[in-house]
Amino acid sequence: MGTVSLFIPCTVDFMMPRVGIATVRLLRKLGIEPCYHEQQTCCGQPALNAGYLDQARKAAKHFIDTFGDDDVIVSPSGSCVAMVKYHYPELLGGEPVWCRRAEDLSARVFELSQYIVDILGIDDVGASFNGTVTYHESCQILRRLGVSRQPKALIEKVQGTTFVPMEQADMCCGFGGEFSVRYNFISEEMVREKAGYYLKSGADLLIVSEPGCLLNIAGYLSRNNPEKTALHLAEFLAGPETDENT
Amino acid sequence: MKESAREEILARLRQAPKMEIPARPVMPTPREVLLDRDGLTARFTEELTRESGVVYRAADREEILDYLTEIARAESLTRIMMSTDDMIRSLDLPAWGERQGVSVSTAADYPDRESYTRAVFDETDAGVTGADFAVAETGTLVIAHGGNQPRLVSLAPVLHVAVVGIDRLVPTYEDALSVFYGDAGLIPPAHLTLVTGPSMTADIRATAFKGMHGPRRVIVILAG
Amino acid sequence: MKIDTGNFVRNAKLEMQNQYARTFLSLLPPYIAARRVKVMGSFPDPAAAQELSRAIRAEAVARMPDLLEEFEKNAVAAGARVLWARNAAEANEMVLSIARERNVTMVTKGKSMISEETGLNDALAREGIEPFETDLGEFIAQQLGRPPFHIVGPAINVPVEEVCDLFMKKAGMQEETTDPVELGYAARLFLRDKFRRARLGITGVNMAVADTGAIINVENEGNIRFNKSSPRTQVSVMSPEKVVPTTTDALHLLRVLCRNCTGQSISAYVSIDRGPREPAEIDGPEELFIIIVDNGRSRLYHDPKLREALRCIRCGACLNLCPVYAKIGGYPYGWAYSGPMGQVLNPALLGLEETSDLFNACTLCGTCREVCPAGIDHPAIFLHYRALEVKRKRRSSGRWETILFGVWGTAAAHSAVWRFLYRLARPVLAVFGNNGKIEAMPGPFAGWFGARDLPVPARRTFRDQWRESLSKQGGAS
Repeated sequence: MGTVSLFIPCTVDFMMPRVGIATVRLLRKLGIEPCYHEQQTCCGQPALNAGYLDQARKAAKHFIDTFGDDDVIVSPSGSCVAMVKYHYPELLGGEPVWCRRAEDLSARVFELSQYIVDILGIDDVGASFNGTVTYHESCQILRRLGVSRQPKALIEKVQGTTFVPMEQADMCCGFGGEFSVRYNFISEEMVREKAGYYLKSGADLLIVSEPGCLLNIAGYLSRNNPEKTALHLAEFLAGPETDENT
Repeated sequence: MKESAREEILARLRQAPKMEIPARPVMPTPREVLLDRDGLTARFTEELTRESGVVYRAADREEILDYLTEIARAESLTRIMMSTDDMIRSLDLPAWGERQGVSVSTAADYPDRESYTRAVFDETDAGVTGADFAVAETGTLVIAHGGNQPRLVSLAPVLHVAVVGIDRLVPTYEDALSVFYGDAGLIPPAHLTLVTGPSMTADIRATAFKGMHGPRRVIVILAG
Repeated sequence: MKIDTGNFVRNAKLEMQNQYARTFLSLLPPYIAARRVKVMGSFPDPAAAQELSRAIRAEAVARMPDLLEEFEKNAVAAGARVLWARNAAEANEMVLSIARERNVTMVTKGKSMISEETGLNDALAREGIEPFETDLGEFIAQQLGRPPFHIVGPAINVPVEEVCDLFMKKAGMQEETTDPVELGYAARLFLRDKFRRARLGITGVNMAVADTGAIINVENEGNIRFNKSSPRTQVSVMSPEKVVPTTTDALHLLRVLCRNCTGQSISAYVSIDRGPREPAEIDGPEELFIIIVDNGRSRLYHDPKLREALRCIRCGACLNLCPVYAKIGGYPYGWAYSGPMGQVLNPALLGLEETSDLFNACTLCGTCREVCPAGIDHPAIFLHYRALEVKRKRRSSGRWETILFGVWGTAAAHSAVWRFLYRLARPVLAVFGNNGKIEAMPGPFAGWFGARDLPVPARRTFRDQWRESLSKQGGAS
């Protein structure tokens, strides 16, 4: 197998490095030694979503230059993967050389659970957790990448874990980047509802595969239900860290 | 000015870049197509009953009239307006009405449109009509309106009774509508309706009820 | 119709205070959505059925000018009069002159979204011609002077007490009641009298079939059938994108429309008109006018992305699944169309300036795209609007954002700058931190903190930790 390259979103890099560390630990546990390009920045998603296409293009080209030669690119964020996979070719449609590079890259980018289950063919990563767990279906992971079975398969194989369903698991949590700040009065209602379904599910733990959703839901829980926890799938599967240091 | 608006709109549409016409997927054959007559009848009945319609099965003219008698009694009908298509004409409802004490009229009995309209809106307990087809797919009647099939007779009265020959029971809408709009050579009707059960609404507090503007009840007699 | 798209935020906040509407929104859209899934299951292959309706709509829009001409030719051959209007004013004037020439003082109307667009009711009323909406929900919304709350249930959120008051005042109801069924029958009685007396009936058009010249209407109440049966003159108003190639195509769209709209396999009534009544008919319109109203379509047809908006069949499936609509209901969208459908159509037809909130107030969750039987990629259109808005430098959140993204773009392309800026920004943000989290902060991100905390930005980023230790732990395998 060739290079497995880590694509660490800026939210993880800056706000939740522990998720990135967990991703590394998890991959190593599965026998994969990932590489990490230190010059990576941002995939450009915030700029695209805000309508700043020129800026998004700059980010996209930097990303392609950085990751262009990697055999496999893995990220603990489905929306960033979707950005590279689906938006880059369109964004760079007017520049044939870049567009071709973007299309070429598209097939080599994977969301973490998708990579583990579909490419590595592993669903039991040897983790254990005693308790009940539920899962939030993040919009881009579910509807853009069509990834839903994979994270749940991984969770269900965790020793001691019982998966419990959550109502409206596929309903948006209300993040939407700038939306969450500009239309906070709507976003807050959405995350309140999402947290409500989590509580109602009775699960001990909520697993999220998308850093944006995690910031939102965990941020809400921290304020309103500090006794409840939301974790990134990578953290959950990697298990507790021995020498955490942020 | 109207002419130029037309030219202007069409010209602007034509100047726009052309776009590709996508290929169409192959659709599997509708399940109804595989049904035999009994299957079609069952399906039609099931579908229409779900929409609160009532379906009777009558073997011959006598049985049809028996059902009508039963309906007239149960609904206390005294004034009926009927269409004059072949099926309904063959029943000789005026004679039946005389026996049952029910007045039976047709649109032609009224001297003008106004008096017909008044009668069908306000002085009719039930409209009895034929239908060109019954579609099993959704329990739907297909009615091609015309001189013998006035529009309001199946719409304005609170009860609509339709009598349809079982040979007119078809699997899908296409089976019925291709007869009128296909290349068969029939002149398409000015007005054709697909009727599936009674009129309904759920516009106030999402509370569904039948008989919003049109009939509150629909009864179909499948004949033959 | 009054345009109030510019007050999205105010109206959304107002609506979110309305407990009755909130309760309603928490129940009905999920219910219809569930019914939809169930009844789509009656197709042998639901996915193929959706794919086919998407293909038909894409083809219909791609071939629109040809299909319109074919439709016109066949409709005229059947005796209809086809009129073309550039805009709302021309369309309304056509209806008015038809009414004036026939000395009509009252008209009945079936629900027509295009006439909501053109504000036909107001235009008629100004000329002393009294218009009566006859779809129950539309009648209530009209009498209350409100925009549609939901495309299928325009007044479905109005409490029964309010409907009762309204009907006592304006629909000749004799006795007070809060029973929805009794209220419905009171409206039936009131409007029945209008149907009987109306000499001009106005309807919209769900589909116009090119190869037969027929127009098709889909309804449950029977009011459209009355409008096509009782008056002597029928005016049917349509936008150009209603045209479809063939009857077969129309029938497939009909199946898909009903399933997506109300979760029915078919509506109670579908009526198909080809020309005015036949000479032998005693009822039905002696004359049929079909008015094709462009109202901006031929302009947006030039933008391949916006053209996609014309595929919409107004089923409302996107409303029922939109998580934002579920919180705010239909009023904040401020015009004829609400929910994702309105977020796509209102900016396309009204321009971007007054509709900025419509395409920005969206998380891009993609539920609308997934469910859309017409194949519209709503989020892609919103991104397109946002990009156009940025281009025109009319970003409503102000100049700071333009500057921010300018800097951001440079940084994203140069990792050293990227890191440097983070080093600058982190301590500023960290000032607000307490116990590893930020609970409040002034400035552009203040909105986050109403109900949420944020982790304090890491002193040592993932990259830092990778360099320092993480990379060195590898190689064990």
